Amino acid sequence: MNGPTVQAEVADRVSAVSRILREAVYVTVAGVIFAFAANLVSPRGLALTRNYFPTGTNTAMRAAVMVRAPVIVADTNAAVPAYPPWLGEQLKQKGLQLTDGQQAVQLFHNSRLKQGVIVFVDAREEDDYLAGHIPGAYELDPFHPEKYFPVVLPACRAAEQIVVYCNGGDCDDSQTAALLLRDVGIRTGKIFVYGGGMTEWTNYHQPLEIGPRNSGRMNITVQ
Amino acid sequence: MTCDYPIRGVAVINLFTALARWLLGAMFFGEGLSKALHPADFLKLLHQYDLTQHAWVLNFIAASLPWFEIFCGLLLLAGVAVRGTALTLTVMLVLFTLLVLHRALLLQVAGHIPFCAVKFDCGCGTGAEFICRKLMVNSLLLVMSAWLLAGRGRQFCLRYSVFGR
Repeated sequence: MNGPTVQAEVADRVSAVSRILREAVYVTVAGVIFAFAANLVSPRGLALTRNYFPTGTNTAMRAAVMVRAPVIVADTNAAVPAYPPWLGEQLKQKGLQLTDGQQAVQLFHNSRLKQGVIVFVDAREEDDYLAGHIPGAYELDPFHPEKYFPVVLPACRAAEQIVVYCNGGDCDDSQTAALLLRDVGIRTGKIFVYGGGMTEWTNYHQPLEIGPRNSGRMNITVQ
Repeated sequence: MTCDYPIRGVAVINLFTALARWLLGAMFFGEGLSKALHPADFLKLLHQYDLTQHAWVLNFIAASLPWFEIFCGLLLLAGVAVRGTALTLTVMLVLFTLLVLHRALLLQVAGHIPFCAVKFDCGCGTGAEFICRKLMVNSLLLVMSAWLLAGRGRQFCLRYSVFGR
């Protein structure tokens, strides 16, 4: 192989690599434009500037700690809380209050619930909510609050006690939803986070409402 | 008769390459779609990696990555800009694999469990998986991606290169 041939081959390869790199840049730019456009038109798209984690908690580190000290699922006999031990302190720092399963059940059976003085707010996703929620609970997915605020805010403003819950355990959507309520002017003194959430509620064999709010379709887990 | 072997060999390689491209494209399309349909879930999983303290950076990644994967998946399925897409996916796969590995090591240390017993939802769109299985799958995807990047097989492509070569 002579010199010019080798040089030509090297030049060819450099040119090929350069073409691949340029193509990758084109693909990346086109892909990013496509991605943001798709997110914009998607009904489930994310708002780019919103802080979805106002609680500031790091679930990764929490998950790592949980491996050593796992959250114990509530047991009606032992009355063990189904939430991490540090939750109460964490909520306190944010001006929120923790409520346990027994208090949540008492509030649910309080006659003031029907008058709207006590309000339950479900901070889970719509699919989970429709599959079963605390009867009469309002829906407030903190990732799409604008969809639920028109209904849930008037109820929360009128209420004296608001119990926000999600799945329990290491789920912090209830905290996020509680902070959202705080940020739109609901007094923190009346916001309670039910730490045990739906996991504990079902362990307590409490009724569930299936479908939309006030659908009347009840499901009671038999003990 | 002897001349048939190389020709048949090339045909097999071309077919294998096309299958690898479709498989890789379908995987990225499927995993991207599962995340794009539930972006909030993906955002929560992404938050676990503790990549950044800036909410908007996390939002940008969570909002764009699923659709970006869908876009790349479609390009590979159609056979458009194959090598450029393969390079992009190779870089992405290396980054994803390193992030998943780092998180798995954290969980292993915290849980005092064997490495292959670590199981978690990495946000890859496939749900909770054992780490060793995940790493094997990612390695396979990387090999396929590198194979496409090397320029093997141009059959069944709409436009193999945007530069027409």
